[in-house]
Amino acid sequence: MSAAAQIGDLSFVHQGAGLPALDHVSLLVPAGESTALLGPSGAGKTTLLAVLDGRLRGWRGRVSVLGAPLHPDQAPPRGSRPDVGFVFQEFALVERATVLRNVLNGRLGRMSPLRAALGSPLPYDLEVARAALADCGIADLAERRVDSLSGGQRQRVAIARCLAQEPRLILADEPVSNLDPARAAEILTLLTGVARARGATVLFSSHQPDLARRFADRIVGMRDGRIAFDVAVGDLSDVAITDLYRETTALQVIGLRAVT
Amino acid sequence: MRSRGFGSFAAGALVAGAVLWSFATTDVELSRLLSAGPRIADFLGRMVPPDPTVMNEIVKGSAETLRIAILGSLGAVLLSVPLGILASETMVSPALYRPVRTLLAFIRAIPLILVAMLMVGAVGLGPLPGIIAVAFHATGMLAKFYAEAIDGVSRAPIAALESAGAGSLAQLRYAIWPQMAPVVARDTIFRFELNLRESLILGIVGAGGIGFYIQTYVRSFQYDKAASVTLAVIAMVIAIEAINVALRRRFA
Repeated sequence: MSAAAQIGDLSFVHQGAGLPALDHVSLLVPAGESTALLGPSGAGKTTLLAVLDGRLRGWRGRVSVLGAPLHPDQAPPRGSRPDVGFVFQEFALVERATVLRNVLNGRLGRMSPLRAALGSPLPYDLEVARAALADCGIADLAERRVDSLSGGQRQRVAIARCLAQEPRLILADEPVSNLDPARAAEILTLLTGVARARGATVLFSSHQPDLARRFADRIVGMRDGRIAFDVAVGDLSDVAITDLYRETTALQVIGLRAVT
Repeated sequence: MRSRGFGSFAAGALVAGAVLWSFATTDVELSRLLSAGPRIADFLGRMVPPDPTVMNEIVKGSAETLRIAILGSLGAVLLSVPLGILASETMVSPALYRPVRTLLAFIRAIPLILVAMLMVGAVGLGPLPGIIAVAFHATGMLAKFYAEAIDGVSRAPIAALESAGAGSLAQLRYAIWPQMAPVVARDTIFRFELNLRESLILGIVGAGGIGFYIQTYVRSFQYDKAASVTLAVIAMVIAIEAINVALRRRFA
């Protein structure tokens, strides 16, 4: 089994925080599958995804993404960044720009820096962007401004922007937690479907066990910055989920967790 | 309850005392106020009909006021871009933006007409002191607005472009500037409107523009001519307001 990402003994403490957000995490994300990061708020899911996306500095451990090791204190080389796509919980779109412009923003990393900053997209960039829009079912929204769209439509734009990067690994941080249940299922169907069609790996986080079970091949449970379990979806027991979401005890709140 | 009652009593006494003090020390007598009625009527009577022969002066004065407002606003924009960056919480450290913000508050506190008088003393009569005064005075507000436009930019789209591999120039062009541009345009137009309004009276202290003619005609008792110029000023203010309302709708 080849790995899209390999994590060894990864720890990270947010500035000013006492407890680590990630506490000696080791994980292998298999290539070509959909993996769900499941766990309560504050489990470290967002932090883990940000490390894999190369946006966090100052972590400790060993991380390699798509075969290339990441440096804890340096941004990844610009040329490798489009290979890893990211879908944000809050969509992270430029509200006043059109849908097409937002999707073309996903191409900026594939252009020369000069063309990206000063020029206009090449016909090929437009072609890729239009194909991404079509795959996400929003070709007819291309000229609309994002601030006129609904939440579900916005997340489709964000996924189209991610696809326009032509990524091999798609990271998605709580991509559906701002959406109603019907919309959430639609978006996850879309995300895992386009990824499978393009042979890309998906790692998405969620705090909803039913969605994780329905859309992931593999489920990784996280709690308090650690991996609680890492199983194929068929092997996931209800007991494991109940334990993942158990109430935090008073002792853990005051920080004795590190001792146990 | 007791202290609150005392508080209201003290506030009432303070207001009453302030009013009585103002009457006692100002030359406001009831008889003079009543006898002023006919004189005001006479004054207003001499303003009608407005004298239309001063059209040339009106056009010349309005054009100069417009030029003062345009060049003064340009100066304010040029000063406000660097000062706005230096006053921004997200761009520089507190050790820098705090003193810069204090400086801007200080500039805002000086009335335009006072700056204009000082500038007339420094560089002489004409539109130049008016332009300098408008640029200086407007910077106090515009640089603060620019700083707020910078601080209001949402980080998320910038992170998304960074994640996609866009360089910092591309991030500026496609994530930062599109968020700032409408705010900057709206604030600049708003400040230009204020500059135009405020420069209408600069001529009274000799700093150029249409105000010069109002002052000249009032001082030489040519009230019909002063009335024409006043009407022109009112018309300009209404026109500016209408244009600004239309522009603001575009940047909503």
